[in-house]
Amino acid sequence: MNTGISIHESLKEIKRLKNEPLLLIVIVAIILFVCYFAVWPVIKVVTVPSLSDYGQLFTRSRWISALKNSLFMTLVSTISCTTIAFLFAYTIARVDVPCKRLFRFITLLPIVSPPFIVALSYILLFGIQGIITKGVFGLRVDIYGRFGLWIVQTVTFFPYAYSVIYGVINSISTNLEYAAYNVGASRWQVFRDVFFPLCRPGIAGGALIAAINVLTDFGNPMMIGGDLALLPTEAYMQISGWYDMKTAAVLATALLVPALGIFVINRFWVGQRSYVTVTGKEISLHPFELPKAVKWGLFSGCMAFSLFVLLVYGTLLYGAFTKTWGYDWSLTLDNMKYVFFKGEQILNSIKFAFLSSILAALLAMVLAYIVQKKQVGVNKFLDFIAILPGAIPGLFLGIGFVMAFNTKPVELTGTSAIMVLALLFWNIPTCYSASTAGLQQIGNSVEDAALNLGANSFRGFKDIILPLLKAPFLSGFVLSFLRSVTCLSVVIFIYSPHTIVGTVSIMGLVETGQWGSAAAFTVVLIAVAFGVLKVARYLLGKQGIKLEL
Amino acid sequence: MEHQDQKFIEFKNIVKRFDSFTALDHVSLTIPKGKFVTLLGPSGCGKTTLMRQLAGFAEPEEGDIYIKGKRVNGLPPYKRNTPLVFQEYALFPHMTVYENISYGLKLQKIPKSVIDSKVAEMLEMFNLLNLEKRFPKQLSGGQQQRVAFARALIMGQEILLLDEPLSNLDAKLRVEVRTELRMIQQKFNITTIYVTHDQDEALSMSDMIAVMRNGRIEQIGSPWEIYFRPANPFVANFVGVVNFLKAKALKQENGILAVDYCGKRIGLHSNLEATQGANVLLVIRPECMRIAGPEEDCNNEVFLEGTIENYSFLGRVIRYWIRVDEETLILDDSNPDLSGSRNGKVRLILDQKKIHVLDCEDATC
Repeated sequence: MNTGISIHESLKEIKRLKNEPLLLIVIVAIILFVCYFAVWPVIKVVTVPSLSDYGQLFTRSRWISALKNSLFMTLVSTISCTTIAFLFAYTIARVDVPCKRLFRFITLLPIVSPPFIVALSYILLFGIQGIITKGVFGLRVDIYGRFGLWIVQTVTFFPYAYSVIYGVINSISTNLEYAAYNVGASRWQVFRDVFFPLCRPGIAGGALIAAINVLTDFGNPMMIGGDLALLPTEAYMQISGWYDMKTAAVLATALLVPALGIFVINRFWVGQRSYVTVTGKEISLHPFELPKAVKWGLFSGCMAFSLFVLLVYGTLLYGAFTKTWGYDWSLTLDNMKYVFFKGEQILNSIKFAFLSSILAALLAMVLAYIVQKKQVGVNKFLDFIAILPGAIPGLFLGIGFVMAFNTKPVELTGTSAIMVLALLFWNIPTCYSASTAGLQQIGNSVEDAALNLGANSFRGFKDIILPLLKAPFLSGFVLSFLRSVTCLSVVIFIYSPHTIVGTVSIMGLVETGQWGSAAAFTVVLIAVAFGVLKVARYLLGKQGIKLEL
Repeated sequence: MEHQDQKFIEFKNIVKRFDSFTALDHVSLTIPKGKFVTLLGPSGCGKTTLMRQLAGFAEPEEGDIYIKGKRVNGLPPYKRNTPLVFQEYALFPHMTVYENISYGLKLQKIPKSVIDSKVAEMLEMFNLLNLEKRFPKQLSGGQQQRVAFARALIMGQEILLLDEPLSNLDAKLRVEVRTELRMIQQKFNITTIYVTHDQDEALSMSDMIAVMRNGRIEQIGSPWEIYFRPANPFVANFVGVVNFLKAKALKQENGILAVDYCGKRIGLHSNLEATQGANVLLVIRPECMRIAGPEEDCNNEVFLEGTIENYSFLGRVIRYWIRVDEETLILDDSNPDLSGSRNGKVRLILDQKKIHVLDCEDATC
């Protein structure tokens, strides 16, 4: 009954579009564009292998263990990521301790870094030529495999869980806790009965975000996985070693299914169970002081972890200026010279990231505007195609682009265009969420007010909506730029000698044991990322807007 | 011309549906020039929807809307010149106070010098001097609200639409703004439509009130008519505290209706044509009754006997809850005694002239 009415309404709205031809053309163009570049590659990858190819997944022991390993690593790393994320989020949001700026910085650092940086640094610390293993203890240990990967993924992906959990904790009014104290609950009872249950949606959401990142992570397993068979690395081997597209497609699909599952759970199940209540003007009291032992216990936990992260990054910086890691510890600028010599790759990184992010932010903004402010009958569908690429692992998208665009009519293999397009679609969901969040803060009545004062639709959009979208546009752009510049999984399949980017050469350098150059490359990439972040923060800061990552 | 002034704004048989819900059900309303008209009703009654049709934010499914005799159906909002003050103000957050107020005139490509002087006039009128360079978020709630008024009023002084503009202010400020608003409206003779669910606002400011419920207008009338001569129990209840007494009609004679209440014969000023024995409802406001003094002779008055159940001291009045037979009546004593409240058995004297009678055979009763 209800769906009958809503379908009827939708049809009415679609018919009304005839009066707004420009809007209609834009909508049709966006749908075609997104379907061709995001949906078509997925269909291509999934349909290339035959059923018997898929059967191999459950018969060949190597694939079975790859599947098992991937799921196992996802489970353990997600648990550790979420635990540490909660520790940081709770301490930063609710406990009065020193060094909060440091802690916040620690939760930001891995997000603006290339995805394999922790792995690289871990090798420098504990590997065969490691500064701690060889340099301090004279040990020779094998760090490659499950344990090393677990540590590395925990450090790399806890910030993603942190940002979700922190957001939820921050939105829980302390008044609720005081209300519980007021009726006689002890500190522990308040935590157990009030605070923690309210955090649960955040913890679930954070865990799922961490899980999807761990599951589809390519850089860290590539560098530190060793012999451990995992779906993303095995898929890569099939293409780079054997040119076996079919098997790669099978493995990539095996990765897509759980990734999609996690994505759907997060979006439609956890998303609807949020208790976040925006009450607006209510004044929250200061959090209740914790017992000293608990307070300093939390502080020590955060501090220890922060020091470890700093050690990781410090090692990298040191590595970038060291002659031959493991043998000659003297300082040098040779590695930087090497980066300068290979400057074109850094420029490629910046160029592709810049172009794809600008385009992604623009496209996402138009999409978000139509979905939020226009009744066009297909709003839900447009929303769906805008968030869909977020469910596709980067590696899957990369393989999809290789398979979908290596023949006519659209032959893009080896071009710059394929790099930009792949990164563009990889980033649409990021920009789309930023734009949507921004638009939701603009009340409908502001636009009505402009019409009421005599502005036509176009003037209203230009004078009111566009200036207000500057901030969400910029934050979408910056996020997307950071992701692109540090992206490895998407581009590893589609680069060519002309379009090679920084992250790809770092992987090559690590594989051949050129630690110093790899570290130098990484340091430069992080510097670029932070530079862009600073500039954007400054620009937004001038308008009194805080850029949230 | 005279005729057009009487029909400055006209709604004719407006129907508006949202899916299967009917928000406006054949609503007709005519508003003369320079009048302050309030659409009053509970939330969801259609009052805001009706106003938005006039501003052009939504189109009715059926019916016609006229402004100054010109049909405006289908005319986009930006061509209607119906300045509206939004409930949440809808100030442009990225524009200063000056830019907000001048935006509408800027769109009309009016020379800057003219705009400047008009803005200055508005800043002065709304006590916003020296704030013109601030952004909305740097203003207090009351200041934001005055900017919203200024932004609407600068567009001309013919029509002004107000959508619960006082609901975000605190109680004291609300009463102050009420008076100022009415003064400005009368000074410039602005035809004003005001949407609210607050009966005090409606009664204190309006020339005319339209009480709405479920997408229909229940009654149109002056504040006095709405308050003392409500068309049905809903209206009576919505505009203030009221007592209902069930009675039977006896005889209508020369504008005096005789009714029988609990064996008492009461003569009331009413033109209601009720057949003998028909059920009628007496509508009595709490201030239209008084408690007789202990020694007072009540034989020439209409009076009831009851027992005080409870009371509440409100400062300027004492409100009593008095048990009379099966009913509890509410009575406001507007002249409280210094010695405190009364108690026990009392006699209630009714002000015959102010008792209103509703026909209870009617379905609305």
